[in-house]
This record gives sequence, C-alpha cells and structure tokens, in this order.
Amino acid sequence: MEEIALALFVCLVLALVSKRFSLPPIPFYILGGIAIGKSGLNLVPADAYSQYLSYLGLIFLLFYVGLEMRPKSLRERGRTILLSGVIDLNVNLVVGCAAALLLGFPPLESFILGSAFYISSSAMAIASLVENRRLILPEAETIVWMMVFEDVLLILLISLFSTQGVNPVSFILLTVAVLAATAGIMRLFRQPIKALLARTDDLPTLFTFTVVISSTYLAKLLKIPDSLVAIILGSSLAATSGSALERLSQPFREVFLVLFFVFFGITIDFSGGFSLPVTAILCVLALASKMASGVLVGWGLHGSVPAGIEIGANTLGRGEFSIALVAIFGSATISATVALLVVVTSLAGSFAARYSEALKLRLSREKPSLLAVPDGQAG
Amino acid sequence: MGVRCIELPGIGTKYELETEKGDRVAIIFMGSRTFQLYILEKGKAAPSAAELTAAEARRLGSLLSGAIIEAEKEAVEIAFSTLSDLRIRVHTYVIRKNLAGRSIAELQVRTKTGATVVAVSRKGKNIINPLPSFTFEDGDIVVAIGDTDQLEEFEHQILGH
Repeated sequence: MEEIALALFVCLVLALVSKRFSLPPIPFYILGGIAIGKSGLNLVPADAYSQYLSYLGLIFLLFYVGLEMRPKSLRERGRTILLSGVIDLNVNLVVGCAAALLLGFPPLESFILGSAFYISSSAMAIASLVENRRLILPEAETIVWMMVFEDVLLILLISLFSTQGVNPVSFILLTVAVLAATAGIMRLFRQPIKALLARTDDLPTLFTFTVVISSTYLAKLLKIPDSLVAIILGSSLAATSGSALERLSQPFREVFLVLFFVFFGITIDFSGGFSLPVTAILCVLALASKMASGVLVGWGLHGSVPAGIEIGANTLGRGEFSIALVAIFGSATISATVALLVVVTSLAGSFAARYSEALKLRLSREKPSLLAVPDGQAG
Repeated sequence: MGVRCIELPGIGTKYELETEKGDRVAIIFMGSRTFQLYILEKGKAAPSAAELTAAEARRLGSLLSGAIIEAEKEAVEIAFSTLSDLRIRVHTYVIRKNLAGRSIAELQVRTKTGATVVAVSRKGKNIINPLPSFTFEDGDIVVAIGDTDQLEEFEHQILGH
C-alpha cells in the first residue's frame, strides 16, 4: 500500500517536468508508470488498493464527461458539430479498425483498438488551444465542438462494448430506463440539491464524492456497467448545479486520474502479444489519419486547408479516453499498444499544435497572408 | 458593430468583435477567472494575445471606457448592459487646504453642481454617505458620483481647479 505514495511522488516530479516544458502530463504519467511497474523496475506492484483508487479516477473522469454534456447547446450547433464530428469519426475509426484487422488483431480487439485510435484527448486539445493562444481562430470553435461530439461517441462506444455477452435489446431498454429515472429523480430534487450545493460548509464536497462513489453501487444494483452509470449520473446532475459540481469534483478527479494513468502504466505488460513494429505502424497511421480528417474538416467547414492543419494539429493527441476504453474493455496486448500510441501521439500532437504556424507554411501551398483569413471572409 | 458570443465547452465564453477598420478583437472569459485578449490586425496572419487576471481585466475595462487614471485621482465609468443610456461616472478627488474646515452643506455641493459626495477616505478610514454636516479636512480623498458635466462642475466650482 505504501507504494502508492512512491507512485504519487514520481507523478508529482513528472508533472513538474511536463509543466516546465509545457507538455501534456499524461504521456509522462504513463511512461513513469511503465518505468516503476511490471515492465520496468518493478518497484510498485498493483494491488487491490491501487486498483480501487485508479478505478475512482476512471469513474470521476466519466462523471465529468456526463456533467459536461449539454444536450441543448449540442442541438443548437447541430450542423457544424455533426459535419466535423462525422468526418472525424469516419476517417479515424475506419482507418484504425482496418489497420488493426490487417495487422492481425481479432475483430473485437480491432474494434476496441480502432475506437482508442479514433478518440482524441479533449484535455490536450483544450490545453493546447489555450496555451498556444489560438482561441481567436474560428477553427478553435470547431475543435472544441468536435471534442464534444467525441464525448457523445465515447458514451455510445462504451454502451456498445458493454453489450458483449448480454442481450442488446434488454440492455438498451434497461439503460434508457435508468437514464430516464435518474433524470426524473434529479429534476424532482433539483431545488434541495441546488440548496445543498450552495452551502458554504463541507457538505457540498461530501455530497459530490458520495454521489460519484454511489454510481458503483447503483451499477451493481441495476446490473448495468458502472462506467455508464457514472456518465448518466453526471448528465442528470448537470441540470441541478453543474458548474458547482464541476468545481467540487475537480480535486478528486485530478488526483485519482493521475493514479489511474500511472497504474495503467504500471500494469502494462510488453511480454504478451505486443509487437513494437505493429505499434509503430499504428502510431504513424494515427498521426496521418487525424491530420487527414482535420484537413478534410477544415476544407469542408472553413474552406481552408491551413485551418484544417490547425484542426489536425490540435487533435493529434490521444489520451484519457483512449486509455479509459482499453482499461475497461481491452486485453493486455492492446493496452500496451494503446499506451505507446497515447505517448507518441500526445507528444507529437503537443509539438504540432505549438508549431502549427510553421506546419501550415510547410504543408500548404497557399500564401502566408491568407492563412488566418477566417471562415466566410475569404471572398 | 455586433459582438458575437460563442460558448466554448471546457474553456469558457468567447466574445468577438470586428472593428470598423476590419481588425478583429476577441475576449475569452475562462472559468478560472482569467481572461485572454486577442487582437488580429486586418490582413495579418498571426494574432497577438495577452492573458489577464480579473483585476487586470477590470483595469483595462475602465481605461477603455474612457476613464482617466492618475495617482490619487481615479475615475470609473459605469454602464449597464440592460440600460444603454445610463452612464454614471465615479471620480475620486483630493481635498486641499482651501476647503479644510468647510462642510458639504456649506459648500452646497449638490445644489451647485448636481454631483454627490458618496464617500470620504480620511487617513485610511472610510466614511460612506457622509452627512451634509460633514466637514472636510486637508488630505481627505472624496468619491463623487454624477455624469460628466456634473463632475466637471464639481471640479470647477467646489475644488476650484
């Protein structure tokens, strides 16, 4: 149990290093975990305690995804989101699945791998847009809403993978019933929950933690996956006092997610079916197909290839959601593959986003003065 | 001069304005009480950006709304988004020897100028809404409220600037 302290200390140092160089922290946590874990120095074994703590990280992450779901604003911007999201989905999921199949992974594994290959890291995309000061660009809006679309897809993918071995019809009916019931209950208790969250004592924090943890219990009770219950609870509670819950759950999410990433690295086993050349091919493809889908979206939505390069560069990094998908559903082999995929794409993505201006000059033949002409003002 | 307002989930809210001259200015309110201010000059490829704290943003806001800020003399103009015609100016002044020992009633501040003294700071102590009988001392910092004309009158007739 005391090894958790060592793992956290390693993460603290790595977080400092990543901040110092303005790099995303996730690849550092994974590499740190690999270094001190099963495939490295074997200093920190994964036990029941660490498993539970990193499991909490996953639940808090998914709770937050639910909390951030805003069906209303999604509907308002329907067309833009749908167009960019569908291009992103089709290009990357198809390339990812096809590549995995061709490289010899079994069908279900290929689908899971393809999903992890498809889904970009929202945290990294947002951090790079803010840090690299790109928020004035119209592409920045497209990128942010593409991430929202990917969140919806994440929920669908989790639901889809959860139907393995169960009757899909009864599963969907049960899930929808739980969703409706939870949303109804939250609506009914909206005022008391709001009042509770507005208190200035320690109760709001306790309430938030209890609600998130209780999704585990609810899942067992209702026999639907805990990952879905966490998302459902989050999205139902967003109607009460979403911003307060975001603020209250943030410290828990931050700490437990770090543990989730580092223990994901610690449990990585390269001795199974893992193949470095196969992983290298997937990494190259992952970078190429995200850039291609980005360019397609930029061209389709902004009428500009450079805008597409900006979109591609900021969405190259795969991260928390890819790891969440393989952590829940993947085998040891694809976990190792995705771990490296996340490390490579997130670091490459971070540099691509930082130097996107130079990248645009190099990759497009347009004149530099036309580069930042926003949508609808070109003509 | 329409201002575009766009929600950026996970980041905050973006307000964007294209100026008459074709430059673009964007302000992003981020959840963590920080602001990003962007300026994209017409015809230029790369924007300039600055990150501001809440206090810096407020200072910049009062500068842009036409307030004069000098040492010990500070003005803020308040405009309400829902009341487009209502603009109130709040200005601070330092009382000199010529007014020492005279009261607000004696000086007939409101009658003569229309402006109102709403607060006085004396040696670090604040008096909010001083009574008409309040007597000024040398070095008092007063806060006066009114429209631009009323404050000008106040400077002219009462302070003798």
